[in-house]
Amino acid sequence: MHIPDGFIDPKISYGLMGAAVAALGYCLAKVREAVTALAPQEAFAAAGRNVRGLAGKSRRMLTRLGEQKIYRMGMVAALIFAAQMFNFPIDQGTSGHLIGGVLAVVLLGPFAGAIAVATVLVVQALFFADGGLAVMGANIINMAFLGALVSYYIYAGLKKHMWEWLSIGIAAWVSVMLAAAATSLEIGLSGTFALPAVMGSMLRVHAVIGAAEALITIALVKAFRKMAPEEAQ
Amino acid sequence: MRNIILLSILIAVAAAFLASSHPDGLEKVAESLGFLEAGVERSSVMTDYTVPFISHAGISTALAGMVGVFATLAVFWVSAKLLKKAAG
Repeated sequence: MHIPDGFIDPKISYGLMGAAVAALGYCLAKVREAVTALAPQEAFAAAGRNVRGLAGKSRRMLTRLGEQKIYRMGMVAALIFAAQMFNFPIDQGTSGHLIGGVLAVVLLGPFAGAIAVATVLVVQALFFADGGLAVMGANIINMAFLGALVSYYIYAGLKKHMWEWLSIGIAAWVSVMLAAAATSLEIGLSGTFALPAVMGSMLRVHAVIGAAEALITIALVKAFRKMAPEEAQ
Repeated sequence: MRNIILLSILIAVAAAFLASSHPDGLEKVAESLGFLEAGVERSSVMTDYTVPFISHAGISTALAGMVGVFATLAVFWVSAKLLKKAAG
């Protein structure tokens, strides 16, 4: 569901670029907080460093677990990149592919998950011309913010009331529908095509693609947890 | 960790030979409603997941996929190393 340049009015795409930068900045701050710990000042003193220079603002240092978490983010992002290449046929000459938002947040949590998906989108746009440059913010908002971050809370909310696999499947389907609705809204509001027609067609096609997203997400979460269990770190 | 990287490469290579070449959901909707031409065709180093100097479509895409998998991993590897260095 990568929007190419030209589908979205510049006012909307640049607005969404700002929103994407803000959202990712917040996610990065949250991840930084999670992967670092305040360095004890004695450690610097013992190492013969000038502690006075650090007075007032303690330094944050990457923890061992934090480092493992970043590598784990890389593995999830790489897996999503690969899985997104695998277009599967749906009907009448149409294909679909994984977005991987729910896959990312189930394995990494909401903030690291959103960053993993956004990284995939940036790599695809820069090196593979998949998705536009001016509309990169729109694609990040649709697939990383709505498809991953927001969908995490749908998954977490559902999980309290049902079997985890069912909550993953439903959240994955909803994440695709959310991204499809947002994409349609952006195209409709840009005046590229009439909103109701775009929205109707997009939701109809992605209701099917979303079902595949649910199945693939469940399979890949199972495979990932088996191959890289969290406690093994 | 190595298993996940192998799995990703396997999926990318399999995709190069087996993936559907039909337009995806958004492209198809744009095509059937008639606004596909509004989109701007862009090119980059590996446009449409192909390596420019390899003519065999499957091999070209498999290679591009592998490059993509490692490029994605590298973003995080480099970030971890830089954060470590900044703290060290």
